Amino acid sequence: MSTLDKAHTSSRPVPNPKRSLITRLHMGTGVVVGIIFAALVYWALKNSLLTYTDKVADPLSPHDNNIVLLGAMFAWSIGFMAGIGAFIGPWRWLIGKDLTDEEILYLAGDGQGTKRYFKYCTDHKVVGIQYLVGVMTLLGVGGTMAMMIRTNLARPGGHFITATVYNSLVGLHGITMIIAMIIVATGPFGNYVMPIMIGAYDMAFPRLNALSWWVLFTAIPVLCSAWFLGGIPTGWTAYAPLSIQAGPGMNAFIATIIIFAVSTAVAGANITTTVIAMRTKGMKWNRVPIFVIGSTISVALAIPAFPTFMVSMIMTALDRTYNTGFFDANMGGSGWLYSNLFWIMGHPEVYVILIPGVAALMEIVPVFVRKPLFSYNAAIMGFAGIAGLSILVWAHHMYMAGWAPSLNGPFMVTTEMISIPTGLLFLVLIGTMWRGKPWMKLPMLSVFAFIWDFMIGGITGIYLSDVPADSYLHGSMFVTAHFHFTLMGAALTGAIGGLAYWYPKMTGRMLHERAGYISFWMVQIGFNVLFFGMFMAGAEGQPRRVVDYAALFRNSNLISTIGAYSVGTGMIILLWAVIHSWTKGKIAPMNPWGAKTLEWTVPYPVPLTNFDELPVITSDPYGYGKGK
Amino acid sequence: MADHSVEELAPTPGDRATRFLKRADVKQTTLFFIFWTALFVVLGIYFYPKWMPTIMSVEMKSAEKIMIWFTVISAPIAGFVLAVATTAFMNRHRGDTPPPDGPAIRTNGPVVAVWTVTSLVFALVAIIWGLTEMNGQAVAAAKDAKSAITIEVRGSQWVWTFNYPAQGIETHELNLPIGVPVIFDVKSADVNHSFWPVQLGVKVDANAQVTTVIHTTPDKLGPIDVKCAELCGLYHAYMETTGEIQSASDFDAWVTAQGGHKA
Ligand SMILES: [Cu+2]
Repeated sequence: MSTLDKAHTSSRPVPNPKRSLITRLHMGTGVVVGIIFAALVYWALKNSLLTYTDKVADPLSPHDNNIVLLGAMFAWSIGFMAGIGAFIGPWRWLIGKDLTDEEILYLAGDGQGTKRYFKYCTDHKVVGIQYLVGVMTLLGVGGTMAMMIRTNLARPGGHFITATVYNSLVGLHGITMIIAMIIVATGPFGNYVMPIMIGAYDMAFPRLNALSWWVLFTAIPVLCSAWFLGGIPTGWTAYAPLSIQAGPGMNAFIATIIIFAVSTAVAGANITTTVIAMRTKGMKWNRVPIFVIGSTISVALAIPAFPTFMVSMIMTALDRTYNTGFFDANMGGSGWLYSNLFWIMGHPEVYVILIPGVAALMEIVPVFVRKPLFSYNAAIMGFAGIAGLSILVWAHHMYMAGWAPSLNGPFMVTTEMISIPTGLLFLVLIGTMWRGKPWMKLPMLSVFAFIWDFMIGGITGIYLSDVPADSYLHGSMFVTAHFHFTLMGAALTGAIGGLAYWYPKMTGRMLHERAGYISFWMVQIGFNVLFFGMFMAGAEGQPRRVVDYAALFRNSNLISTIGAYSVGTGMIILLWAVIHSWTKGKIAPMNPWGAKTLEWTVPYPVPLTNFDELPVITSDPYGYGKGK
Repeated sequence: MADHSVEELAPTPGDRATRFLKRADVKQTTLFFIFWTALFVVLGIYFYPKWMPTIMSVEMKSAEKIMIWFTVISAPIAGFVLAVATTAFMNRHRGDTPPPDGPAIRTNGPVVAVWTVTSLVFALVAIIWGLTEMNGQAVAAAKDAKSAITIEVRGSQWVWTFNYPAQGIETHELNLPIGVPVIFDVKSADVNHSFWPVQLGVKVDANAQVTTVIHTTPDKLGPIDVKCAELCGLYHAYMETTGEIQSASDFDAWVTAQGGHKA
């Protein structure tokens, strides 16, 4: 930190550590080294595993092929990280010559312009932008897949795509969106805005911050390779034994999850440490902005959750390579073991996604209503209660699995208890609005959409949490519609609100308003039409994840597809607005919304160390209003 | 709900209540509350019975009942939340500068308490309702076990096979006699499937090597659909068949036609 402290004077030359390897490495060298290393490992494994007869007759057995592919994928990730320079620091530290001050400054990327976005850059603001672009890319890819799925389902007997392609799309859409949604708020805003909000120079571990982004980056090509390796037939849940039976594309799924879990673990540790240790003077826990609290609880919840997913994937990989039979009942293993491990991650994960979105909206409402956040304590209890209960509810996804039916009762109890802390979140939002005159700007619109969507998602969730109703609804389109209302209608709407709110700080320009409004209404109306149709299909008895359906479901599916096209068009308009405004938007003032959190006290471009002098905090940032 | 009385001079509780209820935004909220609550009640009562297939068992009836009634019970809560939001939306501020500050309401103890207790009561109602239904189904199943017919259901990629051990037949269509309790012993020959006789409102996964069990009693004559509710690979969508709930004599005739015998 001390180096960066000293460094912060506005006009100084770009640091140029002579002959340092660090200056010559970037994304390009990473890609080259990654590909070379992957090819080497591929070649070495393949040749060592081919027996003499195989060489003559046939390619590798499926098991050996899985070993080769997984090896090459991990090699790509490690090679890329080496090629971009991620290991220089640890290596120097190992041999006793840590990075020089000049090199540290160079890594922070100050004065390097656009170039630094393609480098192993430790500035949290650069990492935030990298995450934002990454999130938008993933949402774009996942959204395109959704459009293909809906197009195929527009009418019964439609053969726009084959069953193999369809099943792959369902799985890849799922996992792409889950990854995108996990990082959608904590990635861009957690990295760019949060350190400024708590009055810190940077994250606690700047180099780990760069690591978390670039590790995540290496997972993207791996995930895409699934497509070229025959796809994944399992959906994003990757249930065993189907995943064991699956073809080579499954390796890409496994490798993606393992790489992603490393990235989230690093990011989670970094964000929690930053918030605990680097709050500025006077920022007691009861003065921390609610978005910071929400994000911290969310990543803290992810820290124990994702390793479980990672372990389940390592075990799946072992089953697929060395025939370990962990999840194969015919070998004494159990598919239920997999489902348990998966959902022990999977249920906390939906709250990892949801909480930062809600927290972003809670940051927005007081600013636009010009009233204090209603019951800060209720907000914290809401988040903490949800996080606490969410680790006790996982088997509600398994009511109909036949596994331990006598546990269905207890899991129903814990699940329905979640409606209490969830209710507090609603109370905070409407309590803040009460007697206010909301300033109808884009961020505030998202709050209204959130309340409606999350209400529908919540009520339908109550039926699903109830065992006798779930015994009809489980595995149907009704479930798909329900979780899209929570993850997309609630969490993504929250994140889009956050984007509209923080865009001026992150880009220095205002988001194109008219395009934003058009996009908002197209997405929200389309979304509600889309998933109304899907609730209908589910209630009528259409299973989820089907490539085709009976004539009975014709109307409901057509409604869904029409809604989907509206969402798709709206999202394209939003994408246009984001790209267009980035360079051509109206120049934003320092504090366009008149907010009281610290990020609005720094100019754009935000200086390398954020503040000339760290601010001292004397109250929470919600001191709006007449009377007190 | 808010401390609206900051400027007032020691009003009595009665005065305060009257003034509160006379406020324009309170009236507005009340109207929206009635509107949204009614809307949710109507939606729940209208759509679910319209959408859901023929109810052919107690289990299916209970699923539908829960969907309707939980909507009705949550309607006032949803109605209140949406009413406050709608009122705020109607009183919105436009323009390029922020609106003037509103009242500085930091919190309101009684409101938070009432809200929390309400949601607790709501959660308890849902929990007790669900547990009672589950218990009822379990008791009925235990009582009916002796008179039940057993069917061994086997899921395999991508076919359902039904073995009637007592009747000595194996088929791919699921015919059942009306009014007779039925126990399904479900198993998979390969990956996970989920056995879903749609109109009977029950469901359980089919796993390799272990048998899972569900029971129900069909109580209405007519055709049924059997589907797979767990993604099981390439032709998951087509892993479906049909069957019929029949009168005792029709069922016996069908069994005989399949080459089986009366149990
Ligand atoms: Cu199946």
